[in-house]
Amino acid sequence: MKKWMMLLLTVLFAFTLAACTATDSSGDGDSDETETESEDNSSETNEETSGDDVTTLNLNNGQNPTSLDPPKGFDSASWNVLNNLMEGLTRLGKEHTPEAATAEDWKVSEDGTVYTFMIRDNAKWSNGDDVTAGDFVYAWKRLLDPETASPAAFLGYFIKGGEAFNKGEGSKEDVMVEAVSEKELKVTLEAPTGYFTHVISNPAFFPINESVATENPEWFAEADTFVGNGPFNLAEYNKDKDMLLKKNENYWDAETVTLDQVHFAMVDDTNTEYQLFESGDLDVSEIPSEMSEELIDSDAVSITEQAGTYFYRFNVTEEPFQNEKIRKAFALAVDQQEIVEFVTKNKEQPAYGFVSYGFQDPSGNDFREQNGNMLETDPEKAKQLLEEGMKEEGYDELPEVTLTYNTSESHKAIAEALQQKFKTVLDVEIGLENTEWNVFLQDQKDLKHQLSRSSFLADYGDPINFLESFTSDSVMNRTGWSNDEYDQLIADAKSESNDEKRWELMYEAEKVLFEEMPIFPVHFYNHVFLNKDNVSDIIRHPVGYLELKWASKE
Amino acid sequence: MIKYIVKRFFLMILTIFIIATLTFFLMNAIPGSPFNEEKTSNAVVQENLEKHFNLDKPLPVQYVLYLKSIVTFDFGPSIKQPTETVNSLLGRGFPISAELGIWTILVALISGITLGVVAALRHNKLIDYTAMTIAVLGISIPNFVLATLVIQVIAVDLKLLPAATWNSPQHMILPIIALATGPMAIIARLTRSSMLETLTQDYIKTARAKGLSPFKIVVKHALRNALMPVVTILGTLLAGILTGTFVIEKIFAIPGMGKYFVQGINQRDYPVIMGTTVFYSTFLVLMLFLVDIMYGVLDPRIKLHKKGGE
Repeated sequence: MKKWMMLLLTVLFAFTLAACTATDSSGDGDSDETETESEDNSSETNEETSGDDVTTLNLNNGQNPTSLDPPKGFDSASWNVLNNLMEGLTRLGKEHTPEAATAEDWKVSEDGTVYTFMIRDNAKWSNGDDVTAGDFVYAWKRLLDPETASPAAFLGYFIKGGEAFNKGEGSKEDVMVEAVSEKELKVTLEAPTGYFTHVISNPAFFPINESVATENPEWFAEADTFVGNGPFNLAEYNKDKDMLLKKNENYWDAETVTLDQVHFAMVDDTNTEYQLFESGDLDVSEIPSEMSEELIDSDAVSITEQAGTYFYRFNVTEEPFQNEKIRKAFALAVDQQEIVEFVTKNKEQPAYGFVSYGFQDPSGNDFREQNGNMLETDPEKAKQLLEEGMKEEGYDELPEVTLTYNTSESHKAIAEALQQKFKTVLDVEIGLENTEWNVFLQDQKDLKHQLSRSSFLADYGDPINFLESFTSDSVMNRTGWSNDEYDQLIADAKSESNDEKRWELMYEAEKVLFEEMPIFPVHFYNHVFLNKDNVSDIIRHPVGYLELKWASKE
Repeated sequence: MIKYIVKRFFLMILTIFIIATLTFFLMNAIPGSPFNEEKTSNAVVQENLEKHFNLDKPLPVQYVLYLKSIVTFDFGPSIKQPTETVNSLLGRGFPISAELGIWTILVALISGITLGVVAALRHNKLIDYTAMTIAVLGISIPNFVLATLVIQVIAVDLKLLPAATWNSPQHMILPIIALATGPMAIIARLTRSSMLETLTQDYIKTARAKGLSPFKIVVKHALRNALMPVVTILGTLLAGILTGTFVIEKIFAIPGMGKYFVQGINQRDYPVIMGTTVFYSTFLVLMLFLVDIMYGVLDPRIKLHKKGGE
């Protein structure tokens, strides 16, 4: 019996071991993997032998990019990498405005709906192929193809026929983007869209080398097969672990690029990231929230604006927030300045409107400054409005109010500050409730909250992207608020060809929004980073992507 | 014996099937959807995504599709990382988690058993108290606290080892310390108490009377029996540690599979939830099976099958 057992046990163990090694080798043994490993070694020896002449910028991407397939990686973890590996017709410059990139120039028809882009003669793919108009046609139609199921597809709705194709109603042929010649691309838009050149700087609109993609649909998955057209090439990609970008000598503007290499680690924990920064393994780091007070004023900190707003939504279909005056009372009780100064302590701008700073109208004025403060902290008026509102509704006592936020320490801190404020200013006791993120979003969409934490981050650089959130049929509305005048203003703004008039309509729309106050803003978002002294010119665009073309490290 | 194994095998399949079914219906019962985003999400875009991942189909159809994916062990693409399959995510995460896990278990076993035995042999002496103080500390300090502590002290302040990431054998030392301390403490305490009990038994006295060397008595006679409780927890411990730990992997930026257990649920990435659950439960029942067999080897009195052996 005993021998039997031992034999069996040995066999079983051998089996498990074999299974383990099988997974091991199927993971590492693939030819690609071994190649990356050998490259790994060679690059390391390169670094050692060539010593100082190779400048490597060490950054942290936080997480593995969702996907390096341009229309599928629709988040900053993917954009940070993609924006440096590839390039669209336009590229956001140092001032965050679109500049000529793969397209050296473009013409816009008089009515503002037809764009003709001239692609540079020296725009090359990293494998040496020419970047052609056909590559853009292929990529953009793929973005809109319902089969692709791209989360970014709605950005392509500006193109005539795009929405119908994505809805499954139109056909691919009716999407009005065509290659006039090898190097000339013609796009017809649904309506004049002054900011179209900004929209197409988004990675979703990057070209795809058609011949590469037809041959290998998974071309973006590995470093060996990745073909880009941006300032850097993907030299190594160890998923979930790290990636190495090397300067692309085929890039049309290669002389501008001073970095030789960029190394992206994928460290998800901010404390660890900071410790790696301290130990010299990273050149840039975020600030762990517990240390922000200590570090925020140091010289190493760089703060840039982000196009986005932290705000609260009222549910206008639930008591007591069906009443405009009660909504306003709550909104005016909030002290944005105090929250930024004493609660978040991250140097954000307090928000007194919904559209964030950084959008210039045709005469060069900033939207936020031009349209002024949509609300101001005013405890006296808040009290008075609450009284009036309660009278209107015939309340002797205000119905119970619960504020909901998704579980997180930072949201909790703001929620508690608000609770305190409502107590001292309005003498109203509100309840706090927190739920898990996904449940929270579902409930918010289903209008199950009364007052809930919210945020908005812009997809592209135009105020309309902020404002269209609150039209009656928007998925982003989530307040139950609906206003015909507002809907009309947004629709008009979207089809207006005169840019000055368009901005007037948007200014007006924001005013209408705050007249009825279905939301109240708290602060605008910003990016706060610690940089090593020898690193400069890392650009972070407000719309959320990282630009390393001009970055340098001494 | 073979009959027993066949029986266990079918029971294992049944267990996994029940786990998978429960997981499927539970995960669909939690409110939320993989496409819930804070950002602007467009209704049409959402429909296309749902269609792409078969989420527009009725639940029973989805269930059948999932059962099929389990049988073929092909869970399809992850919803949140649409250009990757669940198999490739687990396939590259598991070897890393397992490598870290095997070292952790070895360290925990060797140091835990040694501490336990030494403590039992020097019962109520200074060594006993020291060992048990270490063990109590090990159990009560959560591993993520220990992890941050060792990074700060050993990596940042003393600069002896790299702080995080996963590149060389040196990178493994700190996570192993952080991960192994807890199990080591548990093993040490278990070994100590069962060792104390075993040492008072008659057969040990007999062995002593026969004049066997103390070393032989401890290793060959006492320890073998004293290890039973350790073997009992080994199954769950192995399955738990080899499949990765979310917190430690996150803190040390280790590209293992631990994060998928948590991320999958947070993001409602259904294929990932199913993949991790089925993988983990298969692994766990297999380990428990091995443990049961180990019992028989360690203690011949335990019969695996009713009719008795030879």
